[in-house]
Amino acid sequence: MSVKKLLMSAALGVVMTVSATVGAVAADLKVGVSWSNFQEERWKTDEKAIIAGLGADADYISADAGGSPEKQLADIESLIANGANALIILAMDTEAVMPAVLNAQAEGIPVLGYDRLIEAKDVFYLTFDNVEVGRMQARAVFAAQPKGNYVFIKGSPTDPNADFLHGGQLEILQAAIDSGDIKIVGEQYTDGWKPENAQSNMEQILTATDNKVDAVVASNDGTAGGVVAALTAQGMEGIPVSGQDGDHAALNRVARGLQTVSVWKDVRVLGKKAGEIAVALAKGEAVMGSAKWSGGKKGVEMDAIFVAPVPITKANFNVVIDAGHIAKDVACANANADVAACK
Amino acid sequence: MRILLIIGAFFLSMVTAMAENAPLIDEQSGIAIPSMISDAAISNLRTKYEGDWDYFVGGGVAAFDCNDDHYPDLYFAGGESQAQLYINQSTRGGALTFAKAKAQSLNLDKVVATYPIDIDSDGIVDLMVLRLGENILFKGLGNCQFEPANEQWNFDGGDEWSTAFSATWEADKKWPTLAIGNYVDRKAEGTPWGTCSDNQLFRPSASDDGFATAQSLKAYCTLSLLFSDWNRSGTQSLRVSNDRQYNKNGREQLWRLAADKSATEFTRKDGFKKLNIWGMGIASHDVNADGYPDYFLTSMGDNKLRSYVGNGEKPKYKNMAFKLGITAHKPWSEESALLSTAWHAQFADFNNDALIDLFIAKGNVDQMPDFAQHDPNNLLLGKLDGRFFEAADRAGMHATKLTRGAAIVDLNLDGQLDIVEVNRNEFPGVLRNLSTSHALGNWIALDIRRLDYNKSSIGAWIEVKINGKVQRKEITNGGGHASGSLGSHHFGMATAKQADIRIIWPDGQTSDWMTMNANQFATINKQDSAVTFWSPSNNAKMMQ
Repeated sequence: MSVKKLLMSAALGVVMTVSATVGAVAADLKVGVSWSNFQEERWKTDEKAIIAGLGADADYISADAGGSPEKQLADIESLIANGANALIILAMDTEAVMPAVLNAQAEGIPVLGYDRLIEAKDVFYLTFDNVEVGRMQARAVFAAQPKGNYVFIKGSPTDPNADFLHGGQLEILQAAIDSGDIKIVGEQYTDGWKPENAQSNMEQILTATDNKVDAVVASNDGTAGGVVAALTAQGMEGIPVSGQDGDHAALNRVARGLQTVSVWKDVRVLGKKAGEIAVALAKGEAVMGSAKWSGGKKGVEMDAIFVAPVPITKANFNVVIDAGHIAKDVACANANADVAACK
Repeated sequence: MRILLIIGAFFLSMVTAMAENAPLIDEQSGIAIPSMISDAAISNLRTKYEGDWDYFVGGGVAAFDCNDDHYPDLYFAGGESQAQLYINQSTRGGALTFAKAKAQSLNLDKVVATYPIDIDSDGIVDLMVLRLGENILFKGLGNCQFEPANEQWNFDGGDEWSTAFSATWEADKKWPTLAIGNYVDRKAEGTPWGTCSDNQLFRPSASDDGFATAQSLKAYCTLSLLFSDWNRSGTQSLRVSNDRQYNKNGREQLWRLAADKSATEFTRKDGFKKLNIWGMGIASHDVNADGYPDYFLTSMGDNKLRSYVGNGEKPKYKNMAFKLGITAHKPWSEESALLSTAWHAQFADFNNDALIDLFIAKGNVDQMPDFAQHDPNNLLLGKLDGRFFEAADRAGMHATKLTRGAAIVDLNLDGQLDIVEVNRNEFPGVLRNLSTSHALGNWIALDIRRLDYNKSSIGAWIEVKINGKVQRKEITNGGGHASGSLGSHHFGMATAKQADIRIIWPDGQTSDWMTMNANQFATINKQDSAVTFWSPSNNAKMMQ
C-alpha cells in the first residue's frame, strides 16, 4: 500500500491524498474523508486505518478543515466535485456541517459520521460505544471493590459524552447502590476534563469524608491522574480507580497498581471499520453488523455501529504493548511484580 | 501639464525613497502594509486588567477626548485593580505618550468594561462603567473630571456581572436608550453552568430626562451588544452576541424596538436563524458595499461574518468569513492544531487605501489547554477583490498576550489609525501607525455633530464617495469587546485628493454631497449644515 500526496486544490488549499495499491490500477470508487482538524495527533492513525479499510476497492481522497467549520463546508463540496462516491465526515461542528451533509445526500452520496454524531436521516454513525466504556470502568472497579464508599469523578459538564459514560457506570453499580453495599460519598463533574480540577475536587471529597473512600470511578485517564495525585497525598494510593483513553501515563499507573483499569479505544479498529463501511455504502451494499439507533438528542433513527473498546488491566496488559500502542519500557517502568506482560 | 505631473511623480518617488522605511507592499495583492510600532515602553501606560476567573472576560478601554484638545484620552478597566484614566500627551505625529490622571471617582475596582457616550447631551462626554457589581454612569464635568450620576439620571446600576453595552437614540427622544449585557449569574444555583443573567434595556422616562425602569431581556451569557440599523429602516435594532460556554443551548439574538412597546425578539419565524457560538465581540461594517451592515462576530475557532441576504424585510444572514478569508480560527504565527480565542474586533482602514481592514484581538481565556496559548492579534487587510489577507506579521504585530478589549483610534492625530490593546495581567499594548512616513494614502476624519441632543449622531450614516465608489459607515455606540470610542470617524482615501461626503441623519434627512479635500479633520453640524475644519494643536496641554 502506498499513499501519495497527489492533488493540490489551489483555490481552497485542500490537500487531496490518493491511495492506490502499488502495481494495481486505480479503483473504480473514491471515498472522500473530511477531517475536522488533521493537525491533532490522533487522526494520522485513523487515516492509516481508513486507507487499510478501503483496501483495493476505493481510492482515498481527503481534505482538512483545519478547525474551521466554514472551511469544512467548502471541503465537502470540493470532495464531491472531485468525484467522491461516499463521504466519511469527522465533523468540526456537528450542527454547522449539516447543509453539506444534506447537499451530499441530495446528490446521492452516502455519508458516514465518523467518531462524532451527525444526527441526520440516512447518515451512518460509527463510533466507540461510550456507554460501554462507562460499564467497563465500573465493572473493573466493582470487581476489585464490591462494597464500600464510592466516588464518581465525572467528565466535563458541557460534554454529552460525560453523561453517556456516567449512565454506563450506573448501569453496573445501581443494584449495589440500592442494596446499600455501595455508598456514594462524593460525585463531581470536572470542568474541561482537567486533571487539576479533578484533583482539587477529589481533595475536597477526601476532606469532607475524612478520607473514608474505598474506590473512585473516574471517567478518563486525565481525571484519574488528578484523583491518584490526591490519593497519594493522603497515603491512600492503590485503592481502585478507573480511567479511559490508554494514556501512556495511565497505562504505567495500571502496571504500578495505582489505577485499576484504562479503557482503551483502539482507533485502528474504528478507522478500518470506517473504510470498510464506506466502501459498502459507495457500492450500495448492506453494512454487516449495523443496527438501528435513535439515541441522539433529536431522536433521529440512524444506522449505526458501536465499536467495543478494550478495558486494559494488569491481566491483559500485553494487548497495548503487542499492538504497538506503547513501548514496553514506558508501560512497565517500575511495574508491580504481578504484571505478567512486564516480565 | 503632463511634464509637471511626471516631475511631480518623480519628486514624490524621491521623497518616498528617502523616507526611512519604504512601504512594504504585499506582492500578491499590491496592497501596502502599514508599519505598527510598539510605543508601550514609552507610553507611561502602567495599568493592568487582572483578577481571578471573574475577570477572564472583559478588559475594556474607552477612547474619547475629555479635555477638548482633540487628542483621545484613555480610560482602562482594571478588574480587581483600580480602573485608571490616562491623559493623552502625544504630539501630532509623535510617539504615543500619556500621563496618569490625578486620583478621582473613576478610580474604582471591579470595572469590566467601559464605553464613552454623551448621555445628557451637554457636549461633555460621559462614561458608562460596567462592573462585577453595580454599574455606574459617570457624568462628565469637563477637564477630565467626572461624577457618579446614577441617582441624578435614575439609572439602576444593579448588581450583575455586566460585560456589554450599546446605546441608541429612539425617534424624537432627547434621552438615549441603553442596553446592558450581563454574563453569568454568579449567585444562581449551579453557577456558572447554564446560569445566565438577563440583559437590561433602559429607555427614556416619560418626562424624557432620565431613565425608566429597565425591561429584562432573556439572554444567554452576553459578551457584546450593538444597536445597529440592520435593514436601513431608520430604527436601530439590538444585536446580542452570547457565549455558549456556559449555556450551550444559547443563540445569537436580535431585538426590535418600537415606540411605546416592549422590545421583542426576532425569531426563526421572522427569518432570524439560530447561530450558536462563543460570542465575544461584535464589529459592524458594510463590508460588501450593498448598503446593509455586515456583522463580524468573534468566537473561539471560526469567527463569523454575518452578511445580509434579504431585501430589508427579514433578518436573514449567511456566513461569509471563509469566502473572504477572515475566519481567523487559528493563530497565524504557527502551524498548530489548537484554535484561537477572539475578543474585540473592529473594522478600520489602517493603510488609508479606501479598502476596509479588520483588527481582531486574540488571547487564551487563561490557560485553556484545548485552545492556543500563543495567540497573536490579527491585522487583516482588505484587497481589491473584497477578500482579506493576514498582515499582522509584516506590520510588526508579534505580541502574544491575552488581549481582550481594544480601541482603533488616531491617538496622535496624524491621520493614521493607531491601536491600543488591553491585555489581561499585563500593561496595555499601544501601537503607533507609522504609515505617514510611507505616504500610504490620503484620509479624512469626520466628526458628525447634532446640536440639540444625540450630539454624536448615533444612527447617522456617513457616505464617502471617491471615484464613484461609496464607503458607508453607520455611527454606532457600543459593541466590540468591553471597549468603545467616541470622536472622529476615519476614512482612507487612497490617492484621491478629494471626496464627496454626505450624511444621512438619524431622522432620515440626507445632506447634499459636500466636496472636501483630503488629509483634514472636519466637523459637520446638522442644524446649520456647517462644516468646520480644524487642525490639531501641538498639544502643549496642562497636566491633569
